[in-house]
Amino acid sequence: MAPRIDHYDWSGGREALLRFGPDDGPVAILVLPLFEEANRTRTFAVGLLRRLAERGVASLLPDVPGQGESLIPLADLTRSRMAEALEALTDRCLDEGRRTYAVGIRSGMLLDHCALHSGRWHLCPQDGDALLRDLHRTWRAAGNTGSPEMMIHGEDTVEIAGNILSRDLLTSFSATTSFDQPRVPRRIVRLASDPAPAHRHIDAAPLWRRAEPGDAPDLADTLAADIADWIATCEA
Amino acid sequence: MLPEGYTQVETTVRAVLADVLGLSAERVAGFTATTPLFGALPELDSMAVAGVLTEIEDRLGILIEDDEVDGDMLETFGALVEFAAGKALV
Repeated sequence: MAPRIDHYDWSGGREALLRFGPDDGPVAILVLPLFEEANRTRTFAVGLLRRLAERGVASLLPDVPGQGESLIPLADLTRSRMAEALEALTDRCLDEGRRTYAVGIRSGMLLDHCALHSGRWHLCPQDGDALLRDLHRTWRAAGNTGSPEMMIHGEDTVEIAGNILSRDLLTSFSATTSFDQPRVPRRIVRLASDPAPAHRHIDAAPLWRRAEPGDAPDLADTLAADIADWIATCEA
Repeated sequence: MLPEGYTQVETTVRAVLADVLGLSAERVAGFTATTPLFGALPELDSMAVAGVLTEIEDRLGILIEDDEVDGDMLETFGALVEFAAGKALV
C-alpha cells in the first residue's frame, strides 16, 4: 500500500509527514539523519517503512522543521526546537492512544530526547561532535580554511553542502549524545564495518556516505524485520 | 617486511573506496599500490574525499587531522593505505 500524505502541527508551524501501515496500534516514528545525509537515506527509509507496514507495523516519516519540504529556514532552528516539533507529533499519537517508538538513523537519533517514546531504535547513531566533525570536513572540502571553531563562529551563518546553518544551530549539537535512560528500551544496530558496540552488527555498506544517493533494499528488509521483532518484544 | 595488520588496513581502505564511491568489488580488487586516485578517479571529488577519510577514521578507530590531508596521501592507493596504516598500526 502506498504511504499517505499527512501533516502535524507544533508550536512553530505545520510540517508534512508520510504515514505507513495501520491506523491503530503502536507507531514507529522515523527520523532521518540531519542535513546532507537525509538526502542520501530518504529513499532507503521509505523502503524500510513500506516493509515495516507489510509486517503490520505502523510508522510515520515526519519532515523535521528546516528539513525536507519544511518552509522554516534551517538557520532559525536549534536541536531543541527540532526535538520539540517531534515531541508534538508523539503527543498527538499518545492522545490517540498509540504508543510511539523512535527509529533514528545516524544523527536523526539526536532529536528523539524530548518525546515520551516507549523505546528507541538507533541505526549507526552519530553523536553531535561526530556530526560537527563531518560538517567541518565537508566545509573544508568546499575550499574553506580554518578550525571547527572558525566554521561555527566565523559568520552568523555558514553554508555547508547547500544547507544554511547558523551558529546557534551548530552549537546546539555540540557535545550531544543519545537519550539513554534505564527502563526505557534502546536497541542499537550498526554495520559490520563499524567496530563500536551494538546489539547487532549487519554486513552492509553505509549508504549515507555514498557520493550519489542510492538504495539498499536488502538492508531495508533486514532492518524492517529487526524493528518489527523489537517492537513486538517491547509491547509484550 | 610489512607490519602486522597492514593487510587488514589495506582491505579496509579498499572496502571504503568501494562503499563511498560506489565502485564495484571487482574494480577495487584490481587496485594496486600504484593505482592513481585523486584526479584519476572521477568519482573521487573533494566532497567524496571527505566521506572517504571519515569512513576510514570510523572503521580503523583513528583520527585524521585536517593539516595531514594533502594531495600526496591521496595520489595513489598505496599512499592512502600507507597513511592509514601509519595511523592505525602504532
